[in-house]
Amino acid sequence: MSHGETRNHGQDHAILVDVTRCTGCETCVAACVAANGKDPRQAERDRATVADGLSADRLSSIVRVGDGRFARKSCMHCLEPSCVSACLVGGLTKTDDGPVVYDPAKCIGCRYCMLACPFHVPRYEWDEAMPLMAKCEMCVDKLHDGQQPACVAACPHQALVHGTRDELLAEAQRRVESDGKYLPHVWGAEEFGGTSVLYVSDVDLATLDWPADTAGPIPHLTDPLIEKTPFMGITVASSLLGLNWVIRRRMKLEREPETGDESRTEGENDG
Amino acid sequence: MAKSNRLLKDVLWILALWGLVAGGFRLWFGLGATTNLTDAVPWGLWKILNMIAGVALSTSGFTVGFLVYVLRRKRFLPLMRMAILVAFLGYGCSCLALLFDIGLPHRFWHPFVMWNEHSFLFEVFWCVILYFTVTTIEVVPTILERTRAERIGKFLHGIAFGVVVFGISLSSLHHSSLGSLFLVTPERLHELWYSELLPVFFILSAMGGGMMVLVLLRILVARWYDPEPIFGATPAPVEGAESTVPGFPTLNRNVRGAGREMPMLANLATISAFILGGYFVLKVVDLVRTGAWQFLAGHGWPGPLYAVELLGGVLLPVVLVACRPVRRSPLGLGVAAFCAAAGLALNRLNVGIFGYWPGAETTYVPSLAEWSVGLGVIAAAGLAFLVVVENFAILERKNQPVGAGVFRAAFDAFSHVYRNALNSGLHRVSLIAVIMLPLAWVAMHPSYRDVTGGGRPVQPSQGVDVARAVLRIDGDRTGLSVDFNHADHQRRLGGDQACVTCHHLAVPGDKTTPCSRCHRDMVDPTGIFDHRHHLTAVAAKAGGHGALAGNGTCTECHQEGAARSAVLVKDCRSCHEKDGWPALAGADPTVDLAVATSFQTAMHAVCVECHKNEAVRVAKPGLGDCGACHADLRRREDSLFAVVAPSRD
Repeated sequence: MSHGETRNHGQDHAILVDVTRCTGCETCVAACVAANGKDPRQAERDRATVADGLSADRLSSIVRVGDGRFARKSCMHCLEPSCVSACLVGGLTKTDDGPVVYDPAKCIGCRYCMLACPFHVPRYEWDEAMPLMAKCEMCVDKLHDGQQPACVAACPHQALVHGTRDELLAEAQRRVESDGKYLPHVWGAEEFGGTSVLYVSDVDLATLDWPADTAGPIPHLTDPLIEKTPFMGITVASSLLGLNWVIRRRMKLEREPETGDESRTEGENDG
Repeated sequence: MAKSNRLLKDVLWILALWGLVAGGFRLWFGLGATTNLTDAVPWGLWKILNMIAGVALSTSGFTVGFLVYVLRRKRFLPLMRMAILVAFLGYGCSCLALLFDIGLPHRFWHPFVMWNEHSFLFEVFWCVILYFTVTTIEVVPTILERTRAERIGKFLHGIAFGVVVFGISLSSLHHSSLGSLFLVTPERLHELWYSELLPVFFILSAMGGGMMVLVLLRILVARWYDPEPIFGATPAPVEGAESTVPGFPTLNRNVRGAGREMPMLANLATISAFILGGYFVLKVVDLVRTGAWQFLAGHGWPGPLYAVELLGGVLLPVVLVACRPVRRSPLGLGVAAFCAAAGLALNRLNVGIFGYWPGAETTYVPSLAEWSVGLGVIAAAGLAFLVVVENFAILERKNQPVGAGVFRAAFDAFSHVYRNALNSGLHRVSLIAVIMLPLAWVAMHPSYRDVTGGGRPVQPSQGVDVARAVLRIDGDRTGLSVDFNHADHQRRLGGDQACVTCHHLAVPGDKTTPCSRCHRDMVDPTGIFDHRHHLTAVAAKAGGHGALAGNGTCTECHQEGAARSAVLVKDCRSCHEKDGWPALAGADPTVDLAVATSFQTAMHAVCVECHKNEAVRVAKPGLGDCGACHADLRRREDSLFAVVAPSRD
């Protein structure tokens, strides 16, 4: 997919996280671990040792965001993902229906996606000799079978809701406006150009790496530059040739009265 | 001449061989086992030092190529071959280190066929690979001169101009693109270094600093091999002067002036100083424009690092080069060039490593294996550089040393072998290898990392939610846990007075030690008995005093005349009965009290007994079943490990 086009993401699959409903029971994480075929024992170890609980064996986690407040953290499935534009082999793709998916067959292990993601979501299989990246893919296979993502299906308190992005934006707006306990903000509506995972909350969510202001899409920082690259290359090359031609001509004119010896090859570097 | 850099060569060989072992470990055991890279710091020394700084430091191929071929400044021609060699080795060094750095080295070719033209890394990959090819084409004629393949050499000479122009275009693109790589991290890179002008900064500093690297290398090579072109004519012995040291004639040091290449080097350094000066001004303007200057005085090291980089690594060399006497002396120019080169390297490390420290929760310090591979690759490039300088016509020189260091086996006497070992190149290297390789193997083997802190400590029970007082009990850390509602149990058992019903309070005055502190493991019994504590406590009680008071009280616990082991010892309860151990009162007296039972046994003994009684009392047969606590045994198909949604009080 191309970054320039502005596709309407209204019908994309999306997830709404309601922090006021989450009790931190981690049933969603257990379901996520099972659905992705990860080792639950390793996942449990990572839960204890990793600060935000995310690892290559634990693609989603529960993060404490305030006193007695929890939030599910996983890939935000940005509308204009930084990781997709960063991956040099095109191993990450924003699918037409929302999820950002990873093709392990392409990955060379450069880890630029990990550096590029503003939410620090991609994780690496550091313990493997032939490691791959790992991140939430919104259970894209389940979505295509008409099912909900595993975490949404598992949540016992409806803190996670699955739907189209338009529906969920409206629902989030409705909750925020109808109930005074919510902070008047829907995280993910605008940040980094918008995400497919939306959050409503009664506490601030800076712990989830949401920016304080509405930062634009990260690919917009690089795309205008990189689009100019071929022209820059051609410009530089042609100006070099032009410059060289002018200088040689002047040198030849200076030298001509004395000697006509200009037959040497350019690259000759006789000592 | 060759002797003067023998120590340098030895160090380079040591680093290279040491790095070879580290590289082997990296490929065999993987990144996690050998590096300190983490999810929080995915890019480390190999990418930043070897690729990004390495490429920047070897910019001279493109800048000198521009001066010589495009601007036709023939005075720099004597430097051309060395500039190309530096570029070739610098880029080769980057590519080699990247092969160790990427997770799947065997897929290095993927970007050739799998394209993402939106990625700056993709552009960098192509430019670096193509430019490496260009430098290879440029460096090959020098090598071929010594062989019979003159025709190929001539052909390559013929296309040189086109190749150079192509190379310059590539360079001007990828040096800025290396800076653009970091544009995607506005939230993470420290404000002092993040700027939209990063690509401009990168190419300017690379151009200026790269020339300075060449100047520095030219001076060093002159010092090692042939001082005359830089340092001036070799001082001649003073005719008729008395020799102060027998065998060493007094030299007339006054005749030594600057060599014939010095004005050319000074000229190159001046060009570089202009570029670096412009870079400095731009950096300062940008600092004021973005308002990042306020971080200069902020607490921590980013301010000082930035100041060192910009003042010591950019401003100082510019000032030094601006001084005519400094610029004209090989030593002064060498110092200026060194400052500029070090400043350039520090800038790349700042942008790529140090600038990410404040944002990441962990502080990344490269592991021994990372330093070894990183420096080893550079050392290998250094050795290759010396080999080419010694054996091929890189510099204008009259007398080239040929055949130095040919190894001849000698078996006559130990002293002879020993002397040869230290004198001849190959033998010396094999000696270094014999010593270094096993040493490196032992020092860096990844298995030691687990012992020295890589292992995971035993965790006490994890609290799921302290507010609801639900404890996740996972004593053996298998991931199979029991969620224990502490508040509810406490309420049922009688509130604050009920602690001793379950906790036997091993440490006096303790009310909160988790069971797993002593009963750590599922299978292995763990000692809970603190002998030292008992020694002093018992002695104090018995009125003992002095340095070894406790030694007089052994028989308080141990039987007289019997072996002082943990077995033949007084029953703990004979003293501790009053501390209240209802669970133990009337229990099997043969229980070995010096050793904690396994966590599983302990928990089962405490919970199951009570649950079974309660099951009868309240007529709920399921209460005594395993599934009452172990949710995974109840519905394994739903949840692989037990997470019970706790009842809400």
